[in-house]
Amino acid sequence: MALATALAIGTPLALRELPASNTTATATERLAQLHASAAQPYSGYVESLGTLQLPVADELLDLGPLFGERTRMRVWWNDPVLWRVDRLTATGEEDLVQSGGVTTQWAYEGTKVTKTPEADVRLPRISDLLPPELARYLLEDVQPADAATLPAERIAGRSALGLSVAPPDPRSSVDHVDVWIDEETGVPLRLSLFADGSSNSALSSTFLDFSPGASSSDVFDFSAPRESTIERSDVVDVADAANRFAPVRPPRTAAGLPLSRDTELRGVGVYGTGLTRVLAIPLWKDVASPLREQLLATPTVEQLAEGPALSVGPLGILLTHFTESNGGWLIAGTVTQETLADVAVDLQKAQPLPSLFREG
Amino acid sequence: MIGVELRKMLRSHRTWITILLINALPTLVGVLLALTDLGPRPGSGPAFLSAVLSDGTLFPLAAVAIVLPLFLPTAVAVVAGEAIAGEAQAGTLRYVLVRPVGRTRLLVAKLVSVVVFVLLAVLVVAVSAYVLGSFLLGDQPVSASVSGTTLTSEQIAWRTALALGYAVLSMLGVAAIALFLSTVVESPLAAAMGALAVLIGSSLLLTLDAANSLSPFLPTRYWLSFIDLFRDPILWRNVLRGTGLQLLYVAVFLGAAWANFTTKDITD
Repeated sequence: MALATALAIGTPLALRELPASNTTATATERLAQLHASAAQPYSGYVESLGTLQLPVADELLDLGPLFGERTRMRVWWNDPVLWRVDRLTATGEEDLVQSGGVTTQWAYEGTKVTKTPEADVRLPRISDLLPPELARYLLEDVQPADAATLPAERIAGRSALGLSVAPPDPRSSVDHVDVWIDEETGVPLRLSLFADGSSNSALSSTFLDFSPGASSSDVFDFSAPRESTIERSDVVDVADAANRFAPVRPPRTAAGLPLSRDTELRGVGVYGTGLTRVLAIPLWKDVASPLREQLLATPTVEQLAEGPALSVGPLGILLTHFTESNGGWLIAGTVTQETLADVAVDLQKAQPLPSLFREG
Repeated sequence: MIGVELRKMLRSHRTWITILLINALPTLVGVLLALTDLGPRPGSGPAFLSAVLSDGTLFPLAAVAIVLPLFLPTAVAVVAGEAIAGEAQAGTLRYVLVRPVGRTRLLVAKLVSVVVFVLLAVLVVAVSAYVLGSFLLGDQPVSASVSGTTLTSEQIAWRTALALGYAVLSMLGVAAIALFLSTVVESPLAAAMGALAVLIGSSLLLTLDAANSLSPFLPTRYWLSFIDLFRDPILWRNVLRGTGLQLLYVAVFLGAAWANFTTKDITD
């Protein structure tokens, strides 16, 4: 009996401890393999753990659990325009299905289906917590000189090669990112983000089960159940609305960081790349006011000349002052508080649109 | 011997009062839902409870989700803890073993009796919830899959049967722990409390990120994973792990109970 018990407990542990690859691939080769994996299809079971307690309110409520809790997900990813991610909860699930240029969101407990188009700029969502998506966002511009190899590990039963990336830009609030890529496909299997001065990861995400290869098309077929409420919206979220309708244009640079050219930017400013990136969203007063109250109620908030600011792990947040009639800029990103303040100063130069052309 | 133990368990008023008490909470919840038409807020209630306002035939699953975390394991711990320690406390264990009855046979008979109790309890909860749900709650069939896909009646039936079987299996681990403790102590209360202490400790550790490495081995870790049978495609990962873990607990603690009981000096 003792032998059976030892075997039952020891076998999975021993499998986990199986030696991983002893490859001598350099950081450059591993980075190249990571970037080349963007088109790789995969499926699996992912668990992420965020430790960032964000002061969120109203329109931004979904961000709290995303970055401050454990999230369990199932994913089927054929390509960037055909995928499905299920957020699993103890009492149901919330699914995102991307197919045919439309994102369908299914909330079991609300029996609600929401269909939205893809937006150029949007707030983070569950699919962004997948290790490959986090790596794509955070490590897009990493240079080999900023990366070092880490010992290989077994993740989800597969041999994974490690990389540690430290941002060279002193404006970044990220100390380093550790990422392990599947030796066979290059798909990131685990990613951990560490803030300056912390030895515990602020956000980590890892595959517990991983299968390379495309999934059958029926996984992506979603027909709204007859008892559900179906909502169609042209606007994805508050960031998309601000980008499309806010009557301002952000400056071309802020705090010395250039405006990103990756997306069609209008009202929203995305500055910098990779681990040194800031998002500036012009918020209407009805969205900015509750957020400001939340920020001011947070004990660690700092009152800067530009507005209340907060550092939550590697994430810096600043909400600029606003008048009774106008909203303010929400500035958030993986940069130091000084950089946030510099961005706020530069945003004073934001060009308001002529009233004739104002939308929304 | 097995027949004797089964008759004893089935004829005991305490067995049926215990099962009625287990059933009381889901019945009360069902009646309140029917009277108020107020479901839980998303993410705040037991699994499937928000769906039963539309489709009352899903209430057996919600009822199992209601009793599984506390009521059912408490009853199982009490019944299994009573098995050997109850005889010892009453001073009858010596006399039972004086008859030509092997200790192993007695232990097996007690175990079968506990398993039948678990089966009965889950079945009574499920059947009475089905009746209550059908008559008092919603009558609009819903898709049932938590992934939003439509399941046929056959799919719903066999997935429900699997879920009930999984709930029974989850309780066997508790029964094995309590039965082992019942062979160690001479007070049934101590055996039941010991088993409950293990379950409460397990539930507490599951809330701690620091104990994350222990969680795959904690007895309560996969209890509520039966909801994964209603995802589409079915997520077998945790159901299979939960099944394996419960079988391991049953094997280890029953083995320990057998080893302890067959070598122990019986003085009571």
